[in-house]
Amino acid sequence: MYFFRLMAAGLLLLAAAGCRGQAVTPTPVENLSIEMAVDPDPARVGEAALIVTLTDASGRPVDGAKIGARGDMSHAGMAPVLAEAEGGQDGRYRIPFEWTMSGDWFVELTITLPDGSTVTQRFDVSVSGAGS
Amino acid sequence: MITAPHERRAVTHTRLDALRLPLIGLLRRRWGRLALQIPLLAAAVLLVIDGFTGPQLAARNLATVIPWVHFRGFAVLVLLLAGNLFCMGCPFTLPRTLAKRLSVRGRRFPRRLRNKWVAIASLFLLFVTYEALDLWASPALTAWLIVAYFVASFVLEVVFTESAFCKYVCPLGTFNFVYSTLSPTQIGIHDPDVCRACAGKECINGSYSPTPLVRLEDIPGGQREVRHGPQGTPGCGTLLFAPQIESNLDCTMCLDCARACPHGNVGLFIRQPGRELLNPEAWPKRWDVSLLAISLAALGLVNAFGMVPPVYELQRTLIKTLGIQSEWLLIGLIFGVGGLLLPFALAVLAGALSRALTRTKLSLRHTVAAFAPAFVPLGFGIWFAHYGFHFLIAPLTIIPVIQEFLGQPGDWAAFSSAADAVLIGLVQGAGLVLGFLWSLALANRTAMRLYRRDAVPGLLPWALLLLALAFAAGYVFSLPMEMRGSLLMG
Repeated sequence: MYFFRLMAAGLLLLAAAGCRGQAVTPTPVENLSIEMAVDPDPARVGEAALIVTLTDASGRPVDGAKIGARGDMSHAGMAPVLAEAEGGQDGRYRIPFEWTMSGDWFVELTITLPDGSTVTQRFDVSVSGAGS
Repeated sequence: MITAPHERRAVTHTRLDALRLPLIGLLRRRWGRLALQIPLLAAAVLLVIDGFTGPQLAARNLATVIPWVHFRGFAVLVLLLAGNLFCMGCPFTLPRTLAKRLSVRGRRFPRRLRNKWVAIASLFLLFVTYEALDLWASPALTAWLIVAYFVASFVLEVVFTESAFCKYVCPLGTFNFVYSTLSPTQIGIHDPDVCRACAGKECINGSYSPTPLVRLEDIPGGQREVRHGPQGTPGCGTLLFAPQIESNLDCTMCLDCARACPHGNVGLFIRQPGRELLNPEAWPKRWDVSLLAISLAALGLVNAFGMVPPVYELQRTLIKTLGIQSEWLLIGLIFGVGGLLLPFALAVLAGALSRALTRTKLSLRHTVAAFAPAFVPLGFGIWFAHYGFHFLIAPLTIIPVIQEFLGQPGDWAAFSSAADAVLIGLVQGAGLVLGFLWSLALANRTAMRLYRRDAVPGLLPWALLLLALAFAAGYVFSLPMEMRGSLLMG
């Protein structure tokens, strides 16, 4: 009896977990080249900027996009850093940012192009201490 | 047969039995523990599902955010303010009754392993694994760890008659055991005469035996008939005998003893926090128990040291001088030396110095065992400072993680604020300073009891050791923390 109660509870939990929602998946954009640099380079704790360069398949700069940046540390429980920029000039976008702690970061860029299509790309950044 | 221990039992608690209070008393009911275990089991299942199927980004996955940030922060607070509630609600032991049905009767955990050496080894292994595999950054590996926990606890429960996993193996439980010695609650009894006259000793034997025990005589104060059989109540899984309990060590607070007692004589009593640390008879005088208390404090320091810049210098030096290429070996060396060998060697040295300075006849083992409980408050303070930092740095990020788990957009902007840095520093400082002062007071009291007029020279080595540990912890926490994988992982 106990076993069946346990199994029933487990099945209920699995059913509940099946209700897990699906995240919105960005529409892939082909032939878009995304490069990201950091300023200062190498990255260190404090005020900074992300320099994103967008070019199309023929190497022409892509302006008019909207870029959302999200920085997460590799350790769980750290608050993300959120920033955004739009417009761009000659395909370059400068996004004011702040590295709040030294360590390993993941920066996720979500780029919405003028035609509404969206692409997401992740970059790894190692940030050193302010005095390093 | 109840012998001397409860006759000479010190007053370890007040007469206030929390199980006789409204609501809390429900825990004593047959399904009382399940009320805590079911939500935690549900949480564990969700963690495993998110760990395997969710985003493999630690900050956005329940499997990493809850165990490595929120659970640890809550655990230390609850241990200090209430008791070992996390062992009480532990979902890993939920299949215990099922395991009992399947178990082969009569097989006990090997005698040579009935101590804390295995628990010390499993703590060491957990810390090394945590760092070497960067568990804090990997939802999938954390989910595997949770699954491994369920399997290990179930298998050991099936194979052995007692709760071997809880008592001898579980690293989380061992942590809870040690620091629940500071808690304001403890299992105890109302009337020793009832226990003295009790024939069945159901608090430890349980009443699930297929062969009913023969009761020799009626017990005064008996409230209900004991019915032995498959539907009976298990006795204490860690083999503690309620009238003789003087410490929270090994007590999972499962309350099986209170449920099994046919006389309603077992309770969960309110006591002075850390009361047992003043009682020289509360802890066994064994090397394994002493090393556990001392090394757990040092492991807390090494664990925090792993997050500040000097650890990378140390790693580079070890790689350069010893030519170590294995990350496991590198981390194992740091934790093994810093968390086990060095503190134990220093404790033995302090014990030897105490003996030499006071010319006492007390053995080295008894000397170290007498001072070992003094390391509990400082050790707790170190863990409190570390876990408090992680908890306070972004306490509400759990909300957007849950939102995203449910398929909603996470409102990160609204729930990403951290507690003020000054406040975090004050909380950490308070944990360390109060822990150190409490430890020093305990060591002083021990020295007064052991050495009387020679108390000062007897205390001196231990006070210096505690001071060194506190200073080292203060230094580590004053450095900026880093969240980084280790060198060899790139």
